[in-house]
Amino acid sequence: MPAGRVGVDLVPFARVRRLTVDGDAGATVLRRMLSEAEIALCHPGAGWDVAGIAGRLAAKEAVFKTLRARGQTLPWLGIEILKDDAGAPVVRFSGRAAELVQDAGIEQIDVSITHDEPFAVAVAFGVGSSDNS
Amino acid sequence: MASAGIDDVRAWILGRHPDRTTIAPDENLIESRLVDSLSFVELVYAIEGASGVEVDFDTIDIQDFQTLSSIEKAFFATTRIA
Repeated sequence: MPAGRVGVDLVPFARVRRLTVDGDAGATVLRRMLSEAEIALCHPGAGWDVAGIAGRLAAKEAVFKTLRARGQTLPWLGIEILKDDAGAPVVRFSGRAAELVQDAGIEQIDVSITHDEPFAVAVAFGVGSSDNS
Repeated sequence: MASAGIDDVRAWILGRHPDRTTIAPDENLIESRLVDSLSFVELVYAIEGASGVEVDFDTIDIQDFQTLSSIEKAFFATTRIA
C-alpha cells in the first residue's frame, strides 16, 4: 500500500434519530452496527446519544474506506470505535474486519470525529508498510 | 410473477426515496445509491422480515443484494407445484 490511506464519511443525525425512535426494529438495526461496548458509550442514560452514534457510524465507514475492500460489506461490529483514557476515539478490529485490515497491509489507523447538528463527520487515516496496493 | 415478499422490499426502498416511483428488477441498488452502507443494514432487516430468513453478516454475499432480481432469487425463490 502507499504510505497512507485516507477515508471520510458523513452521517446525518436524522438517519440515526429515525432508528432510535423506531422501537424494536430500530434497536435491532443499531445493535447490528454497534457492539455492546459501543452501546455502553452511546446509551449513557435514559436515551440514545444520537451525536455519539452518528459519529461512530461515520468513523466505521471512514475506516472501512481505507481498507478498499471491494465487494465486501462493511463489518460493522468488527470495527469498534471506542475511547482511550483521554476520551479520544480509538479503533478496535475483530473477526472479518481484522482480516480485511491485514489484507490491506494496514498496521495502524487513526480516526477523528466531529459532530454538529445536523451531521457527524469522521476521517480515518491508515498507515502500513506492506507491498499491498 | 414477483413474490409478495419482494414487493415488500421494493416498497421499503421506494418509501425511502420519494423521488422514485419504480425500480427495475435489474437496477443496481448500490450503484444507483438507492441503498448505502447505512441503509444496507436496514434493508437486510427488511428482507429478513419479509422472507423469514435470517442473514449472517459474517458470511453475507453482496451479490445477493445488488438488484431486486438477485434479492428475489436469494430470499424469495418460490416453490412451484407441478
